[in-house]
Amino acid sequence: MTDDILTQRIFKMMAQLSVVRVPDIKMEHRLREDLGLDSVCSMELLSMLAEELDLDVPMEEAAQVTTVAGTVEMARRHLALKQAAAAS
Amino acid sequence: MTDDVVEPLVRSIRDFAKGNIRSLEIDREHTIPPAVLRGLGELGLFGVTLPTEWGGAGLTAVDATRVVIALAEIDRSVATTVGLHLGLGTRGLVAWGTRAQQEKWLPSLAAGEAIAAFATTEPEAGSDLSALKAVAVAGPDGRLRLSGTKLYVTNAGFASVLTVTASTPGLGGAARGTSLLLVDPKSPGALIQPEERKLGLRGSSTCAFIFEDVTLAPDAVLGEPGQGAAQLAHVLSWGRMLLSAGCVGTARTALKAALEHVHQRRQFQRALIQQEVVQQRLARASAVAYGMSALVQTAASAEKDWELLSRLTTSSKVFCSEGGFELADLAIQLHGGSGYIEDTGMAVLMRDARVTRIFEGANDVLLTHAGLMELTAPAKVPTDEVLAPLWKAVTARREAMGSGIRALNRRAQQHALGWAVAWRDAATAATLLARTPVEQACAALLREEAITVSSAQPLPAGPTAVLTAALLEGVLP
Repeated sequence: MTDDILTQRIFKMMAQLSVVRVPDIKMEHRLREDLGLDSVCSMELLSMLAEELDLDVPMEEAAQVTTVAGTVEMARRHLALKQAAAAS
Repeated sequence: MTDDVVEPLVRSIRDFAKGNIRSLEIDREHTIPPAVLRGLGELGLFGVTLPTEWGGAGLTAVDATRVVIALAEIDRSVATTVGLHLGLGTRGLVAWGTRAQQEKWLPSLAAGEAIAAFATTEPEAGSDLSALKAVAVAGPDGRLRLSGTKLYVTNAGFASVLTVTASTPGLGGAARGTSLLLVDPKSPGALIQPEERKLGLRGSSTCAFIFEDVTLAPDAVLGEPGQGAAQLAHVLSWGRMLLSAGCVGTARTALKAALEHVHQRRQFQRALIQQEVVQQRLARASAVAYGMSALVQTAASAEKDWELLSRLTTSSKVFCSEGGFELADLAIQLHGGSGYIEDTGMAVLMRDARVTRIFEGANDVLLTHAGLMELTAPAKVPTDEVLAPLWKAVTARREAMGSGIRALNRRAQQHALGWAVAWRDAATAATLLARTPVEQACAALLREEAITVSSAQPLPAGPTAVLTAALLEGVLP
């Protein structure tokens, strides 16, 4: 999956949980203040990442993410780790 | 503040109630007589948690819960009216109000000349706050224009000030921030709707508000603009704490009435209290009531630690609302046929208690949230050897769900974990506060049941999947 496709998939998940539309989501946006995602919605987002990207990120690490960029970066890193593990 | 002040206040409440508060009449007439509200104001009840600077008593949260418990023992509509004012209604103003905002509102609110309300639920946003549609947009002059609909606003019919949650795009640099706004319900465009007809709490006022382009001065915002989500969490902690206190009052009244009845009522040549089944049911009910009280006191004691307060009030809200309803139901059951008749006062106890499992966060949502919080930020197991087995049982349940974000998809398990957390917190509070042998017996019973709750098995996967699929297709058994 290219970075662009991954970013768009994550933006779509965020838009499902927020009133902000995909074209208006920016990497620098904060999940709570800019997308209006409270703690429950943020967990819902992580749940969608786990389901749709088949990811399992340690809870402590996931709980630290507060921005759009942080979410994308976390997903990218763990997908790369997963691919590396599969290749070895 | 010590018992020197709270005890006499509680006695004054009981004395006042004897001559003035007629619970069955309040329920029947769907209103609290204005003279009762005036009398409660003269006792200082609307100012118990408000700062002394503005005429309040400056009492602690623990003291406030004792006041609400005393009121709820007498009448739940009255307790809800006062509790809502002290918690959701005024907490934001006390915590984040500017000096000017406090000076404007708090003196009359403390005196009971004005009553506060809180408006957050919407037609499409109940527990899901991210779905709020009410919006306040700032114009070039800095004034805000508020539009939206708010449902189920307690105290609406006689409120002088509303704290309203609304999305405030752009305010405070947040593209989609939420803010708490102070709104005068008599403002042009603030349209109050007719009183709701309810199953219980019929004396408390509940209406919807429609806001049609209501103009608000820039200083209508409470605290930092755009920080409403975090503020709301704290205000809800207070609301849930005082709601839980009301449940304790209901539980005590139900238990007392049930005990009186089973001593008097004779069946099969002996009093009902002589029956082993009745004894066991009341023994467990006593333990639950004690656990409710201990958990409320423990939660209120955490008033300065907002994170802990939030966690404990989530547990207390679900534990106490389920317990209060269960005890009201038990009181009816033990009264037999007479419990079903309104005049005994048991029916109104249960009807009043029913909504506490729904409002200020529906219990199923809160339990799932409590489970989620335990997954993401697990509480540390205490070293106390009496409590450790109970806490380890909850930890084992959590660890069985895994440590990664995949566990977030197991909602039914989160819900079960949340219930285990609520029982753990109640049993822990009871254990730590128990002094007398009877209280210690209550705590021991609660610990045993809490461990059982922690190890409860989920529904069997196969039949549950078949039934769920059938229900999704609209097939009823």
